[in-house]
Amino acid sequence: MPSQLSFTGFAWKNLWRRRLRTLLTLGGITMGIGAFVALVGFSRAFETEWMRLYTSAGTDIAVVQTNFVKSELDQSLGAKIAALPDVARCVPMIFNLMDLTPDVNAIVYGWPADSYELDALTFVSGGRFHDGQRELILGQSLANDLKKIPGDTLSLEGTDFKIVGVYHGGSALVEGAVIMPLDQMQIISSMQGKVTAFHVRLRPVPPGISYDDYVKRAESEIEAAVPQVLADPAADRAANNAVVELAHSVAWGTSSIALFIGILGIANTMAMSVFERTHEIGILRALGWKSQHVILLILTEATALGFSGGLIGIVVGWGVLRLLAALPETGNIVSASVSPLHLVESLLIAVASGLAAGAYPAWRGARLSPVEALRYE
Amino acid sequence: MSSPLLEAQDLKKSYDDGRVQALRGVDFRIEAGEYVAISGPSGSGKSTLLHMLGGLDLPSSGQVLFRGAALGKTVNLDTYRSLQIGFIFQAFHLLPTLCALENVQVAMLAKHERSNHRVERAAALLEEMGLSNRLRHYPNELSAGERQRVAIARALANKPAILLADEPTGNLDSVNSAHIMEILEGIREQRGMTLIVVTHEQDIAASAPRHIRIRDGRIEA
Repeated sequence: MPSQLSFTGFAWKNLWRRRLRTLLTLGGITMGIGAFVALVGFSRAFETEWMRLYTSAGTDIAVVQTNFVKSELDQSLGAKIAALPDVARCVPMIFNLMDLTPDVNAIVYGWPADSYELDALTFVSGGRFHDGQRELILGQSLANDLKKIPGDTLSLEGTDFKIVGVYHGGSALVEGAVIMPLDQMQIISSMQGKVTAFHVRLRPVPPGISYDDYVKRAESEIEAAVPQVLADPAADRAANNAVVELAHSVAWGTSSIALFIGILGIANTMAMSVFERTHEIGILRALGWKSQHVILLILTEATALGFSGGLIGIVVGWGVLRLLAALPETGNIVSASVSPLHLVESLLIAVASGLAAGAYPAWRGARLSPVEALRYE
Repeated sequence: MSSPLLEAQDLKKSYDDGRVQALRGVDFRIEAGEYVAISGPSGSGKSTLLHMLGGLDLPSSGQVLFRGAALGKTVNLDTYRSLQIGFIFQAFHLLPTLCALENVQVAMLAKHERSNHRVERAAALLEEMGLSNRLRHYPNELSAGERQRVAIARALANKPAILLADEPTGNLDSVNSAHIMEILEGIREQRGMTLIVVTHEQDIAASAPRHIRIRDGRIEA
Protein backbone atom coordinates (compact mmCIF):
# COMPACT_ATOMS: atom_id res chain seq x y z
CA MET A 1 0.00 0.00 0.00
CA PRO A 2 1.54 3.36 -0.96
CA SER A 3 1.96 6.54 1.10
CA GLN A 4 2.20 5.09 4.59
CA LEU A 5 2.54 7.99 6.98
CA SER A 6 4.69 7.49 10.05
CA PHE A 7 5.36 9.96 12.82
CA THR A 8 8.94 10.51 11.66
CA GLY A 9 7.80 10.68 8.03
CA PHE A 10 5.39 13.44 9.00
CA ALA A 11 8.21 15.27 10.81
CA TRP A 12 10.43 15.06 7.70
CA LYS A 13 7.65 16.41 5.49
CA ASN A 14 7.28 19.35 7.84
CA LEU A 15 10.99 20.07 7.67
CA TRP A 16 11.15 19.64 3.92
CA ARG A 17 8.40 22.14 3.21
CA ARG A 18 10.93 24.92 3.96
CA ARG A 19 13.86 23.39 2.16
CA LEU A 20 16.20 26.36 2.15
CA ARG A 21 15.69 27.09 5.84
CA THR A 22 16.15 23.42 6.71
CA LEU A 23 19.33 23.20 4.63
CA LEU A 24 20.75 26.36 6.20
CA THR A 25 19.95 25.01 9.66
CA LEU A 26 21.61 21.72 8.74
CA GLY A 27 24.62 23.76 7.60
CA GLY A 28 24.85 25.35 11.05
CA ILE A 29 24.77 22.11 13.01
CA THR A 30 27.04 20.46 10.44
CA MET A 31 29.59 23.19 11.05
CA GLY A 32 29.38 22.68 14.82
CA ILE A 33 29.70 18.90 14.70
CA GLY A 34 32.32 19.08 11.95
CA ALA A 35 34.41 21.40 14.12
CA PHE A 36 33.93 19.06 17.07
CA VAL A 37 34.97 15.97 15.12
CA ALA A 38 37.97 17.66 13.53
CA LEU A 39 39.30 19.68 16.44
CA VAL A 40 38.57 17.34 19.33
CA GLY A 41 39.58 14.39 17.16
CA PHE A 42 42.81 16.20 16.36
CA SER A 43 43.58 16.92 20.02
CA ARG A 44 42.71 13.36 21.08
CA ALA A 45 44.81 11.86 18.34
CA PHE A 46 47.57 14.15 19.57
CA GLU A 47 47.15 12.68 23.07
CA THR A 48 47.15 9.14 21.69
CA GLU A 49 50.37 9.80 19.80
CA TRP A 50 51.89 11.24 22.94
CA MET A 51 50.95 8.04 24.77
CA ARG A 52 52.55 5.97 22.00
CA LEU A 53 55.70 8.04 22.41
CA TYR A 54 56.04 6.63 25.92
CA THR A 55 54.73 3.12 25.38
CA SER A 56 56.75 2.45 22.23
CA ALA A 57 59.95 3.29 24.12
CA GLY A 58 58.94 1.48 27.33
CA THR A 59 58.84 4.61 29.49
CA ASP A 60 56.91 4.08 32.74
CA ILE A 61 57.24 7.49 34.39
CA ALA A 62 57.90 11.03 33.16
CA VAL A 63 59.52 13.41 35.64
CA VAL A 64 58.91 17.14 35.08
CA GLN A 65 59.13 20.36 37.04
CA THR A 66 56.22 20.92 39.44
CA ASN A 67 53.71 23.69 38.64
CA PHE A 68 55.45 24.87 35.49
CA VAL A 69 53.89 24.91 32.06
CA LYS A 70 57.36 24.88 30.51
CA SER A 71 59.37 22.42 32.57
CA GLU A 72 63.09 23.02 33.18
CA LEU A 73 65.13 20.80 35.49
CA ASP A 74 68.80 20.50 36.42
CA GLN A 75 70.34 17.65 34.49
CA SER A 76 72.21 16.58 37.64
CA LEU A 77 68.95 15.47 39.25
CA GLY A 78 68.95 12.49 36.88
CA ALA A 79 71.67 10.77 38.91
CA LYS A 80 69.53 10.89 42.07
CA ILE A 81 66.57 9.38 40.26
CA ALA A 82 68.68 6.70 38.58
CA ALA A 83 70.02 5.65 42.00
CA LEU A 84 66.56 4.78 43.35
CA PRO A 85 65.95 1.04 43.86
CA ASP A 86 62.96 0.63 41.51
CA VAL A 87 64.51 2.64 38.65
CA ALA A 88 66.21 0.68 35.88
CA ARG A 89 67.01 3.61 33.57
CA CYS A 90 66.59 7.37 33.80
CA VAL A 91 67.33 9.43 30.73
CA PRO A 92 67.19 13.21 30.37
CA MET A 93 65.51 14.83 27.39
CA ILE A 94 64.72 18.22 25.92
CA PHE A 95 61.61 18.80 23.89
CA ASN A 96 60.83 21.81 21.71
CA LEU A 97 58.84 22.83 18.65
CA MET A 98 60.91 24.53 15.96
CA ASP A 99 60.48 25.99 12.49
CA LEU A 100 62.64 23.90 10.17
CA THR A 101 61.66 25.83 7.06
CA PRO A 102 59.13 28.66 6.55
CA ASP A 103 56.52 25.96 5.76
CA VAL A 104 57.48 23.07 8.01
CA ASN A 105 57.74 22.98 11.77
CA ALA A 106 58.48 19.90 13.81
CA ILE A 107 59.14 18.59 17.27
CA VAL A 108 62.84 18.51 18.06
CA TYR A 109 64.11 16.18 20.79
CA GLY A 110 67.44 16.19 22.50
CA TRP A 111 68.37 12.71 23.74
CA PRO A 112 71.68 11.32 24.94
CA ALA A 113 73.18 8.90 22.44
CA ASP A 114 72.81 6.05 24.92
CA SER A 115 69.12 6.71 25.63
CA TYR A 116 67.02 3.54 25.76
CA GLU A 117 64.42 5.43 23.72
CA LEU A 118 66.67 5.17 20.67
CA ASP A 119 66.34 1.37 20.91
CA ALA A 120 62.64 1.71 19.95
CA LEU A 121 63.49 3.27 16.58
CA THR A 122 64.00 1.27 13.40
CA PHE A 123 66.54 2.83 11.08
CA VAL A 124 65.46 2.98 7.46
CA SER A 125 68.82 4.37 6.39
CA GLY A 126 71.96 5.54 8.16
CA GLY A 127 72.35 5.10 11.91
CA ARG A 128 72.50 6.77 15.32
CA PHE A 129 74.08 10.15 16.15
CA HIS A 130 76.97 10.62 18.56
CA ASP A 131 77.10 12.85 21.62
CA GLY A 132 79.08 16.02 21.11
CA GLN A 133 78.68 15.95 17.32
CA ARG A 134 76.59 18.25 15.15
CA GLU A 135 74.51 15.35 13.99
CA LEU A 136 70.84 14.51 13.98
CA ILE A 137 68.39 11.89 12.78
CA LEU A 138 65.01 12.44 11.08
CA GLY A 139 61.71 10.61 11.28
CA GLN A 140 60.77 9.06 7.98
CA SER A 141 57.72 11.21 7.27
CA LEU A 142 59.63 14.39 8.10
CA ALA A 143 62.54 13.30 5.93
CA ASN A 144 60.10 12.75 3.08
CA ASP A 145 58.54 16.19 3.58
CA LEU A 146 61.96 17.86 3.69
CA LYS A 147 63.31 15.62 0.91
CA LYS A 148 66.39 14.86 3.01
CA ILE A 149 68.52 11.74 3.22
CA PRO A 150 71.52 10.76 5.35
CA GLY A 151 74.51 12.88 4.39
CA ASP A 152 72.43 16.04 3.83
CA THR A 153 72.52 18.91 6.27
CA LEU A 154 69.73 20.63 8.15
CA SER A 155 70.07 24.09 9.64
CA LEU A 156 68.62 24.67 13.11
CA GLU A 157 68.87 28.03 14.89
CA GLY A 158 71.65 29.04 12.49
CA THR A 159 73.72 25.90 13.04
CA ASP A 160 74.20 23.25 10.37
CA PHE A 161 73.68 19.64 11.47
CA LYS A 162 74.56 16.55 9.47
CA ILE A 163 71.75 14.09 8.96
CA VAL A 164 73.16 10.69 9.90
CA GLY A 165 70.02 8.54 9.87
CA VAL A 166 66.37 8.28 8.95
CA TYR A 167 64.20 6.16 11.20
CA HIS A 168 60.71 4.78 11.57
CA GLY A 169 59.16 5.44 15.01
CA GLY A 170 56.22 4.10 16.98
CA SER A 171 54.45 7.44 17.30
CA ALA A 172 53.65 10.26 14.90
CA LEU A 173 55.33 12.56 17.42
CA VAL A 174 58.58 10.71 16.76
CA GLU A 175 57.90 9.78 13.15
CA GLY A 176 57.64 13.46 12.24
CA ALA A 177 60.40 14.66 14.55
CA VAL A 178 64.07 15.59 14.66
CA ILE A 179 66.25 13.89 17.28
CA MET A 180 69.70 15.20 18.09
CA PRO A 181 72.26 14.76 20.85
CA LEU A 182 71.11 16.26 24.14
CA ASP A 183 74.24 18.40 24.49
CA GLN A 184 73.72 19.93 21.03
CA MET A 185 70.07 20.64 21.80
CA GLN A 186 71.13 22.34 25.06
CA ILE A 187 73.46 24.59 23.07
CA ILE A 188 70.98 25.72 20.45
CA SER A 189 68.24 26.12 23.11
CA SER A 190 70.52 27.96 25.56
CA MET A 191 69.73 25.32 28.18
CA GLN A 192 73.19 24.17 29.18
CA GLY A 193 72.91 21.88 32.21
CA LYS A 194 69.13 21.91 31.97
CA VAL A 195 66.59 19.42 30.62
CA THR A 196 62.85 19.42 30.02
CA ALA A 197 62.14 16.05 31.65
CA PHE A 198 63.52 12.71 32.69
CA HIS A 199 62.04 9.55 31.26
CA VAL A 200 62.16 6.64 33.64
CA ARG A 201 61.99 2.94 32.87
CA LEU A 202 61.33 0.85 35.98
CA ARG A 203 62.76 -2.53 36.86
CA PRO A 204 60.49 -5.52 36.23
CA VAL A 205 57.40 -5.53 38.46
CA PRO A 206 58.21 -7.50 41.62
CA PRO A 207 55.92 -10.38 42.56
CA GLY A 208 52.89 -9.63 44.76
CA ILE A 209 52.28 -6.09 43.50
CA SER A 210 50.26 -4.77 40.55
CA TYR A 211 51.87 -2.64 37.84
CA ASP A 212 49.80 0.40 38.84
CA ASP A 213 50.75 0.08 42.52
CA TYR A 214 54.37 -0.42 41.53
CA VAL A 215 54.34 2.77 39.44
CA LYS A 216 52.69 4.68 42.30
CA ARG A 217 55.37 3.44 44.69
CA ALA A 218 58.09 4.53 42.31
CA GLU A 219 56.46 7.93 41.84
CA SER A 220 56.46 8.47 45.62
CA GLU A 221 60.08 7.41 45.84
CA ILE A 222 61.10 9.86 43.10
CA GLU A 223 59.13 12.78 44.52
CA ALA A 224 60.52 12.08 48.03
CA ALA A 225 64.09 11.86 46.77
CA VAL A 226 63.91 14.92 44.52
CA PRO A 227 61.67 17.73 45.76
CA GLN A 228 60.21 20.20 43.24
CA VAL A 229 59.58 17.49 40.68
CA LEU A 230 56.39 15.83 39.54
CA ALA A 231 56.61 12.13 38.70
CA ASP A 232 53.68 11.13 36.51
CA PRO A 233 52.78 7.74 35.10
CA ALA A 234 53.28 7.85 31.34
CA ALA A 235 49.51 7.54 30.66
CA ASP A 236 48.73 10.53 32.90
CA ARG A 237 51.58 12.55 31.44
CA ALA A 238 50.21 11.99 27.95
CA ALA A 239 46.82 13.35 29.00
CA ASN A 240 47.97 16.06 31.39
CA ASN A 241 50.94 17.70 29.78
CA ALA A 242 50.56 21.35 28.99
CA VAL A 243 50.65 20.99 25.21
CA VAL A 244 47.94 18.32 25.13
CA GLU A 245 45.81 20.22 27.64
CA LEU A 246 46.12 23.37 25.55
CA ALA A 247 45.14 21.42 22.42
CA HIS A 248 42.11 19.97 24.25
CA SER A 249 41.06 23.38 25.57
CA VAL A 250 41.32 25.08 22.18
CA ALA A 251 39.47 22.19 20.51
CA TRP A 252 36.62 22.12 23.02
CA GLY A 253 36.36 25.91 23.21
CA THR A 254 36.23 26.42 19.46
CA SER A 255 33.86 23.55 18.75
CA SER A 256 31.59 24.59 21.66
CA ILE A 257 31.18 28.01 20.08
CA ALA A 258 30.42 26.43 16.71
CA LEU A 259 27.97 24.01 18.34
CA PHE A 260 26.26 26.84 20.21
CA ILE A 261 25.72 28.67 16.92
CA GLY A 262 24.30 25.45 15.44
CA ILE A 263 21.94 25.00 18.40
CA LEU A 264 20.73 28.60 18.04
CA GLY A 265 20.05 27.86 14.36
CA ILE A 266 17.88 24.85 15.18
CA ALA A 267 16.08 26.73 17.98
CA ASN A 268 15.34 29.62 15.61
CA THR A 269 14.10 27.27 12.88
CA MET A 270 11.86 25.33 15.23
CA ALA A 271 10.49 28.50 16.85
CA MET A 272 9.66 29.92 13.41
CA SER A 273 8.17 26.62 12.34
CA VAL A 274 5.88 26.42 15.38
CA PHE A 275 4.82 30.03 14.85
CA GLU A 276 4.02 29.40 11.18
CA ARG A 277 2.16 26.17 11.95
CA THR A 278 0.03 27.49 14.80
CA HIS A 279 -3.12 26.86 12.76
CA GLU A 280 -2.00 23.34 11.84
CA ILE A 281 -1.24 22.54 15.47
CA GLY A 282 -4.84 23.58 16.20
CA ILE A 283 -6.06 21.15 13.51
CA LEU A 284 -3.95 18.34 14.97
CA ARG A 285 -5.33 19.04 18.45
CA ALA A 286 -8.88 19.00 17.04
CA LEU A 287 -8.09 15.63 15.45
CA GLY A 288 -7.27 14.20 18.85
CA TRP A 289 -3.55 14.88 19.14
CA LYS A 290 -2.57 15.39 22.76
CA SER A 291 -0.07 18.01 23.97
CA GLN A 292 2.50 15.22 24.30
CA HIS A 293 2.05 14.32 20.63
CA VAL A 294 2.72 17.94 19.61
CA ILE A 295 5.83 17.99 21.83
CA LEU A 296 6.96 14.69 20.35
CA LEU A 297 6.45 15.94 16.78
CA ILE A 298 8.45 19.15 17.32
CA LEU A 299 11.20 17.34 19.22
CA THR A 300 11.33 14.71 16.46
CA GLU A 301 11.82 17.46 13.88
CA ALA A 302 14.52 19.15 15.99
CA THR A 303 16.24 15.83 16.67
CA ALA A 304 16.10 14.90 12.99
CA LEU A 305 17.87 18.18 12.22
CA GLY A 306 20.48 17.47 14.90
CA PHE A 307 20.96 13.85 13.80
CA SER A 308 21.25 14.68 10.09
CA GLY A 309 23.52 17.63 10.78
CA GLY A 310 25.56 15.33 13.01
CA LEU A 311 25.98 12.69 10.31
CA ILE A 312 27.01 15.25 7.70
CA GLY A 313 29.21 16.98 10.28
CA ILE A 314 31.03 13.72 11.04
CA VAL A 315 31.80 13.22 7.35
CA VAL A 316 32.94 16.85 6.98
CA GLY A 317 34.97 16.74 10.21
CA TRP A 318 36.64 13.51 9.21
CA GLY A 319 37.47 15.00 5.84
CA VAL A 320 39.00 18.05 7.50
CA LEU A 321 40.99 15.82 9.83
CA ARG A 322 42.37 13.82 6.92
CA LEU A 323 43.23 17.05 5.14
CA LEU A 324 45.06 18.36 8.22
CA ALA A 325 46.94 15.09 8.49
CA ALA A 326 48.02 15.42 4.86
CA LEU A 327 49.35 18.97 5.25
CA PRO A 328 53.08 19.32 5.99
CA GLU A 329 52.39 21.96 8.67
CA THR A 330 50.23 19.64 10.76
CA GLY A 331 50.73 16.16 9.39
CA ASN A 332 53.98 15.61 11.27
CA ILE A 333 52.38 16.22 14.63
CA VAL A 334 49.42 13.89 14.51
CA SER A 335 47.93 11.05 12.50
CA ALA A 336 44.36 11.22 11.16
CA SER A 337 42.72 8.58 13.29
CA VAL A 338 39.22 9.03 14.73
CA SER A 339 37.99 6.51 17.27
CA PRO A 340 34.48 5.04 16.81
CA LEU A 341 33.76 6.26 20.34
CA HIS A 342 34.47 9.84 19.24
CA LEU A 343 32.06 9.43 16.31
CA VAL A 344 29.32 8.06 18.57
CA GLU A 345 29.99 10.88 21.02
CA SER A 346 29.69 13.44 18.19
CA LEU A 347 26.38 11.97 17.07
CA LEU A 348 25.04 11.96 20.62
CA ILE A 349 26.05 15.61 21.04
CA ALA A 350 24.28 16.42 17.76
CA VAL A 351 21.09 14.67 18.86
CA ALA A 352 21.26 16.28 22.31
CA SER A 353 21.74 19.67 20.63
CA GLY A 354 18.59 19.07 18.58
CA LEU A 355 16.63 18.09 21.66
CA ALA A 356 17.87 21.09 23.64
CA ALA A 357 17.12 23.47 20.77
CA GLY A 358 13.63 22.01 20.24
CA ALA A 359 12.60 22.00 23.89
CA TYR A 360 11.27 25.56 24.14
CA PRO A 361 9.46 25.60 20.75
CA ALA A 362 7.91 22.22 21.66
CA TRP A 363 6.73 23.55 25.00
CA ARG A 364 5.23 26.61 23.29
CA GLY A 365 3.49 24.48 20.68
CA ALA A 366 2.01 22.21 23.33
CA ARG A 367 0.67 25.14 25.32
CA LEU A 368 -1.38 26.51 22.42
CA SER A 369 -5.13 26.45 23.04
CA PRO A 370 -6.74 24.32 20.29
CA VAL A 371 -9.46 26.92 19.67
CA GLU A 372 -7.04 29.86 19.56
CA ALA A 373 -4.72 27.88 17.27
CA LEU A 374 -7.59 27.00 14.92
CA ARG A 375 -8.59 30.67 14.68
CA TYR A 376 -5.01 31.69 13.89
CA GLU A 377 -4.41 32.46 10.22
CA MET B 1 -33.23 6.61 33.08
CA SER B 2 -29.93 6.29 31.19
CA SER B 3 -27.72 9.33 30.54
CA PRO B 4 -27.98 10.99 27.15
CA LEU B 5 -24.95 10.88 24.85
CA LEU B 6 -24.37 14.63 25.23
CA GLU B 7 -25.91 17.08 27.62
CA ALA B 8 -25.30 20.82 27.89
CA GLN B 9 -26.08 22.20 31.35
CA ASP B 10 -26.40 25.98 31.71
CA LEU B 11 -23.45 26.60 29.38
CA LYS B 12 -22.02 30.10 29.56
CA LYS B 13 -18.96 31.42 27.80
CA SER B 14 -17.57 34.93 28.04
CA TYR B 15 -14.45 36.57 26.65
CA ASP B 16 -12.47 39.72 27.47
CA ASP B 17 -13.17 39.55 31.21
CA GLY B 18 -16.89 39.15 30.67
CA ARG B 19 -17.33 42.06 28.23
CA VAL B 20 -18.26 39.62 25.41
CA GLN B 21 -20.78 36.92 26.26
CA ALA B 22 -20.87 34.25 23.54
CA LEU B 23 -23.16 31.85 25.41
CA ARG B 24 -25.60 32.98 28.09
CA GLY B 25 -26.94 29.72 29.53
CA VAL B 26 -27.60 26.90 27.09
CA ASP B 27 -29.30 23.63 28.06
CA PHE B 28 -30.14 20.64 25.84
CA ARG B 29 -29.70 16.88 25.54
CA ILE B 30 -28.68 14.88 22.50
CA GLU B 31 -29.28 11.15 22.34
CA ALA B 32 -27.03 8.65 20.58
CA GLY B 33 -27.70 8.42 16.84
CA GLU B 34 -29.52 11.76 16.61
CA TYR B 35 -29.04 14.22 13.74
CA VAL B 36 -29.17 17.73 15.12
CA ALA B 37 -28.76 20.99 13.22
CA ILE B 38 -27.70 24.10 15.11
CA SER B 39 -28.37 27.35 13.29
CA GLY B 40 -28.20 31.02 13.99
CA PRO B 41 -26.87 34.27 12.62
CA SER B 42 -23.19 35.18 12.67
CA GLY B 43 -21.96 35.80 16.21
CA SER B 44 -24.86 33.98 17.78
CA GLY B 45 -22.50 31.55 19.57
CA LYS B 46 -23.16 28.41 17.51
CA SER B 47 -19.50 27.72 16.72
CA THR B 48 -18.54 28.39 20.35
CA LEU B 49 -21.15 25.84 21.35
CA LEU B 50 -19.77 23.32 18.84
CA HIS B 51 -16.24 23.81 20.19
CA MET B 52 -17.48 23.00 23.69
CA LEU B 53 -19.43 19.96 22.56
CA GLY B 54 -16.25 18.80 20.76
CA GLY B 55 -13.99 19.32 23.76
CA LEU B 56 -11.92 22.03 22.10
CA ASP B 57 -12.85 24.60 24.73
CA LEU B 58 -14.33 24.72 28.22
CA PRO B 59 -17.30 26.85 29.32
CA SER B 60 -16.87 29.76 31.72
CA SER B 61 -19.61 28.13 33.76
CA GLY B 62 -21.94 25.19 33.36
CA GLN B 63 -20.79 21.88 31.93
CA VAL B 64 -20.99 19.46 29.02
CA LEU B 65 -21.67 15.86 29.99
CA PHE B 66 -20.68 12.94 27.78
CA ARG B 67 -22.62 9.83 28.80
CA GLY B 68 -23.15 11.53 32.16
CA ALA B 69 -19.48 12.42 32.77
CA ALA B 70 -18.32 16.06 32.78
CA LEU B 71 -15.90 17.04 30.01
CA GLY B 72 -12.65 18.48 31.36
CA LYS B 73 -13.33 17.03 34.81
CA THR B 74 -14.16 13.34 34.64
CA VAL B 75 -13.41 13.05 30.94
CA ASN B 76 -10.01 14.16 29.61
CA LEU B 77 -10.56 16.51 26.65
CA ASP B 78 -7.68 15.15 24.55
CA THR B 79 -8.85 11.57 24.99
CA TYR B 80 -12.43 12.59 24.29
CA ARG B 81 -11.49 14.32 21.03
CA SER B 82 -9.26 11.44 20.02
CA LEU B 83 -11.75 8.64 20.63
CA GLN B 84 -15.25 10.11 20.44
CA ILE B 85 -15.22 13.14 18.14
CA GLY B 86 -14.76 13.64 14.41
CA PHE B 87 -14.51 17.28 13.33
CA ILE B 88 -15.43 18.63 9.90
CA PHE B 89 -14.69 22.29 9.20
CA GLN B 90 -15.96 24.82 6.72
CA ALA B 91 -12.42 25.50 5.42
CA PHE B 92 -11.60 21.76 5.32
CA HIS B 93 -8.35 22.30 7.25
CA LEU B 94 -6.38 19.68 5.33
CA LEU B 95 -2.61 19.75 5.80
CA PRO B 96 -1.10 21.09 2.55
CA THR B 97 2.07 18.98 2.64
CA LEU B 98 0.20 15.69 2.87
CA CYS B 99 -1.67 13.85 0.14
CA ALA B 100 -5.26 12.72 0.67
CA LEU B 101 -4.23 9.31 1.98
CA GLU B 102 -1.76 10.87 4.42
CA ASN B 103 -4.22 13.52 5.58
CA VAL B 104 -6.59 10.77 6.70
CA GLN B 105 -3.78 8.87 8.40
CA VAL B 106 -2.59 11.90 10.35
CA ALA B 107 -5.66 11.67 12.57
CA MET B 108 -4.68 8.11 13.46
CA LEU B 109 -1.05 8.91 14.30
CA ALA B 110 -2.02 9.85 17.84
CA LYS B 111 -3.35 6.34 18.42
CA HIS B 112 -1.08 3.34 18.82
CA GLU B 113 -2.13 1.51 15.69
CA ARG B 114 0.01 -0.40 13.22
CA SER B 115 0.98 1.64 10.19
CA ASN B 116 -0.38 -0.89 7.67
CA HIS B 117 -3.75 -0.81 9.47
CA ARG B 118 -3.72 2.98 9.31
CA VAL B 119 -3.08 3.15 5.59
CA GLU B 120 -5.58 0.39 4.78
CA ARG B 121 -8.28 2.11 6.79
CA ALA B 122 -7.50 5.50 5.27
CA ALA B 123 -7.70 4.03 1.75
CA ALA B 124 -10.98 2.29 2.55
CA LEU B 125 -12.52 5.51 3.88
CA LEU B 126 -11.40 7.50 0.85
CA GLU B 127 -12.83 4.82 -1.43
CA GLU B 128 -16.09 5.10 0.48
CA MET B 129 -16.01 8.83 -0.24
CA GLY B 130 -15.55 8.09 -3.94
CA LEU B 131 -11.94 9.26 -3.96
CA SER B 132 -10.12 6.03 -4.81
CA ASN B 133 -8.52 7.78 -7.80
CA ARG B 134 -7.40 10.74 -5.67
CA LEU B 135 -5.42 8.97 -2.93
CA ARG B 136 -2.12 10.57 -3.80
CA HIS B 137 -3.44 13.98 -4.73
CA TYR B 138 -2.50 16.94 -2.56
CA PRO B 139 -5.16 19.36 -1.30
CA ASN B 140 -4.25 21.96 -3.93
CA GLU B 141 -4.89 19.33 -6.61
CA LEU B 142 -8.42 18.59 -5.37
CA SER B 143 -11.70 20.42 -5.93
CA ALA B 144 -13.49 21.98 -2.94
CA GLY B 145 -15.99 19.13 -2.83
CA GLU B 146 -13.21 16.54 -2.95
CA ARG B 147 -11.34 18.30 -0.16
CA GLN B 148 -14.39 18.19 2.05
CA ARG B 149 -14.82 14.49 1.33
CA VAL B 150 -11.19 13.91 2.37
CA ALA B 151 -11.96 15.87 5.55
CA ILE B 152 -14.99 13.65 6.20
CA ALA B 153 -12.86 10.52 5.72
CA ARG B 154 -10.36 12.00 8.17
CA ALA B 155 -13.13 12.71 10.69
CA LEU B 156 -14.19 9.05 10.48
CA ALA B 157 -10.64 7.69 10.84
CA ASN B 158 -10.76 7.03 14.57
CA LYS B 159 -14.35 5.64 14.48
CA PRO B 160 -15.84 8.42 16.61
CA ALA B 161 -19.26 8.29 18.28
CA ILE B 162 -20.07 11.88 17.27
CA LEU B 163 -19.51 13.82 14.04
CA LEU B 164 -19.34 17.59 14.54
CA ALA B 165 -19.58 19.60 11.34
CA ASP B 166 -19.00 23.36 11.46
CA GLU B 167 -20.59 24.92 8.35
CA PRO B 168 -19.54 21.89 6.24
CA THR B 169 -21.06 23.35 3.06
CA GLY B 170 -20.02 26.95 3.63
CA ASN B 171 -17.34 26.88 0.93
CA LEU B 172 -19.23 24.70 -1.57
CA ASP B 173 -21.60 25.28 -4.47
CA SER B 174 -25.14 23.96 -4.27
CA VAL B 175 -24.41 20.68 -6.06
CA ASN B 176 -21.45 19.85 -3.83
CA SER B 177 -23.38 21.04 -0.75
CA ALA B 178 -26.17 18.61 -1.45
CA HIS B 179 -23.65 15.82 -2.07
CA ILE B 180 -21.80 16.44 1.18
CA MET B 181 -25.04 16.52 3.22
CA GLU B 182 -26.12 13.32 1.52
CA ILE B 183 -22.81 11.69 2.52
CA LEU B 184 -23.09 12.91 6.13
CA GLU B 185 -26.64 11.65 6.51
CA GLY B 186 -25.67 8.34 4.90
CA ILE B 187 -22.77 7.93 7.36
CA ARG B 188 -25.10 8.60 10.30
CA GLU B 189 -27.62 6.08 9.09
CA GLN B 190 -25.13 3.34 8.23
CA ARG B 191 -22.91 3.73 11.27
CA GLY B 192 -25.50 4.86 13.78
CA MET B 193 -23.37 7.86 14.67
CA THR B 194 -24.58 11.11 16.20
CA LEU B 195 -24.38 14.01 13.73
CA ILE B 196 -24.36 17.62 14.87
CA VAL B 197 -24.20 20.20 12.08
CA VAL B 198 -23.74 23.91 12.66
CA THR B 199 -25.10 25.87 9.70
CA HIS B 200 -26.52 29.21 8.77
CA GLU B 201 -28.27 27.70 5.73
CA GLN B 202 -31.94 27.33 6.58
CA ASP B 203 -32.71 24.56 4.10
CA ILE B 204 -29.99 22.34 5.60
CA ALA B 205 -31.14 23.15 9.12
CA ALA B 206 -34.75 22.48 8.18
CA SER B 207 -33.92 19.06 6.69
CA ALA B 208 -32.52 17.81 10.02
CA PRO B 209 -34.92 15.85 12.26
CA ARG B 210 -34.03 18.19 15.12
CA HIS B 211 -33.19 21.85 14.81
CA ILE B 212 -31.74 24.06 17.58
CA ARG B 213 -31.80 27.80 16.88
CA ILE B 214 -29.38 30.05 18.70
CA ARG B 215 -29.54 33.83 18.96
CA ASP B 216 -27.42 36.07 21.18
CA GLY B 217 -25.99 33.09 23.03
CA ARG B 218 -29.35 31.58 23.96
CA ILE B 219 -31.54 28.84 22.47
CA GLU B 220 -34.64 30.32 20.86
CA ALA B 221 -37.88 28.85 22.02
